[in-house]
Amino acid sequence: MKLLQRVDELIGRGEGALLIVLLSIMVVLSFAQVVLRNLFSESLLWGEIFLRHMVLWIGFLGAARATGEGRHITIDAFTRFLSPRMKLVARILTNAFAVTICFFLMKASLKFLADEVESGSTLHGDVPSWYSQIIIPVGFALIIIHFLVRIARGVHSFRTGAIEK
Amino acid sequence: MNTWFIVAAVVVLAFLGAPLFTLIGGIALYAFDSQGIDTSSVIIDLYRIAETPTLIAIPLFTFAGYLLAESKSPQRLVALARAVFGWIPGGLAIVVLVTCAFFTAFTGASGVTIVALGGILYPLLIKESYPEQFSLGLVTSSGSIGLLFPPSLPIIMYGIIAEVSIDQMFVAGIIPGFLLVGLIALYSVRVGVRSRVPTIPFSWTNLRAAVKGAAWEIPLPFIIVGGIYGGAFTATEASAVTAFYVLVVVAFIYRDMNLTKDVPRVMKESMVLVGAILAILGTALGLTNYLIDEQVPQQLFEFVQSNVESRFAFLLILNLFLLIVGMMMDIFSAIIVVVPLILPIARAFNIDPLHLGIIFLTNLEIGYLTPPVGLNLFLSGLRFEKPILEIARSVLVFIALMLSALLVITYLPELSLWLVQLFGTR
Repeated sequence: MKLLQRVDELIGRGEGALLIVLLSIMVVLSFAQVVLRNLFSESLLWGEIFLRHMVLWIGFLGAARATGEGRHITIDAFTRFLSPRMKLVARILTNAFAVTICFFLMKASLKFLADEVESGSTLHGDVPSWYSQIIIPVGFALIIIHFLVRIARGVHSFRTGAIEK
Repeated sequence: MNTWFIVAAVVVLAFLGAPLFTLIGGIALYAFDSQGIDTSSVIIDLYRIAETPTLIAIPLFTFAGYLLAESKSPQRLVALARAVFGWIPGGLAIVVLVTCAFFTAFTGASGVTIVALGGILYPLLIKESYPEQFSLGLVTSSGSIGLLFPPSLPIIMYGIIAEVSIDQMFVAGIIPGFLLVGLIALYSVRVGVRSRVPTIPFSWTNLRAAVKGAAWEIPLPFIIVGGIYGGAFTATEASAVTAFYVLVVVAFIYRDMNLTKDVPRVMKESMVLVGAILAILGTALGLTNYLIDEQVPQQLFEFVQSNVESRFAFLLILNLFLLIVGMMMDIFSAIIVVVPLILPIARAFNIDPLHLGIIFLTNLEIGYLTPPVGLNLFLSGLRFEKPILEIARSVLVFIALMLSALLVITYLPELSLWLVQLFGTR
């Protein structure tokens, strides 16, 4: 259990660090684009493409963090009124469902990625598209890991009777 | 598999608290698979996230909003608003409205307003002997009051989903937004006069000090609104300027936020919300595409048309429907899932997509205050340690006021469209 949590934390830290780097670049680069466009009436075409793909990366890394911290958007109007133990059962159940769906989404994205690699599509110049698209299966894999750890933690506290939060 | 079984399973899982993106993704996977289409189509649609230039505004505005909320901006703005409105009877209530509207616009009604400002404003209201129930209701309802003002995230999201210009949506929300704030402000002044709350005499020295204090925050709305009105830049460019500006102001000018400690923490924190929103958007893109292929909006439209005759009746039904949606769903999922379905119907009834957006968002703003989901009720309950029922009772008057504003907004499309036409941005 402890080891699992360590791994989960470590991955989480990596995701967080990457998010900070990406967002910092995004803030500076997008501002630079506005300055270039308005003052010199030109802009970097690759900058535009780079920014758009950073949104995809930030989205997936952010979603991975949301999973790790249990902060995805849910309808929580009814679980509020459950007892702590029933809440735990609901959490294990819905997380198990989430893992299943994310697994199929990951499978679908691997197929998508393979198709893209084969077609040889590019982002800009000769940079292949899959350099960016790889985050889709990787992102789903990260999300799956966090969901699995949450399930393990849920089952653990259900058995020991120690209810967290 | 039986369709009804799936519908039942989805509903049960939703109420058990399954992450919405997994439900939407699951339905999309199933829908494509049952049509014999490879499920990688779901990912092709998801990938559109990287092909929509306007989406850049979402992480940038969210980051700027969180940064402002965590800095000392709330205190500076409250001081400024008090210096401006404090002399009016009920002035403090107006202070609450104005500062909350500003913050909600910037933080996209993610609940940050109540957390960041409620703790400062509620004790102030009580200290100045406003009735307790009124104060609680005011602070709770103010948590989503600025939703219609730029650069609120739900407006951007609506623009992206409905494929209307975000710049125009920003302009369309201004008068309806002022109507909502103004109505509640009038009511608050009445309460203020009745409860004989003390007023602070107006003083130029005070005002000058407060303006000086908030000197770097004051230009923000003007940068955004002015920049877009004036045609200097688009909503997406405004987000880039805002994020950069706010970062420089809080980290280098006011030095509220440490660049190596606080800023990275806020970056991570704010991107969790962005990730949660984009997860729903990404999976919903596939589902929406499937529904359009299957002509579901078309069928819905025919059903509505054969049952509803007048535009008047349609608008009424639309509002009732959206109020229920607002009770059950959070604002982002509601926009992403519901807008593509009702947009074609509204078009057929000759309702401008911009006007529809304002109606939509006003309804969902009220949804923040209605049980069972009402985010603001729960946030307020946590923040002020009050039972939910007491809070729900305290917002009743405010819901009534907002409903009457909603009626005006619905049946006077000019409120939403006049400024847009005036500025010729269409």
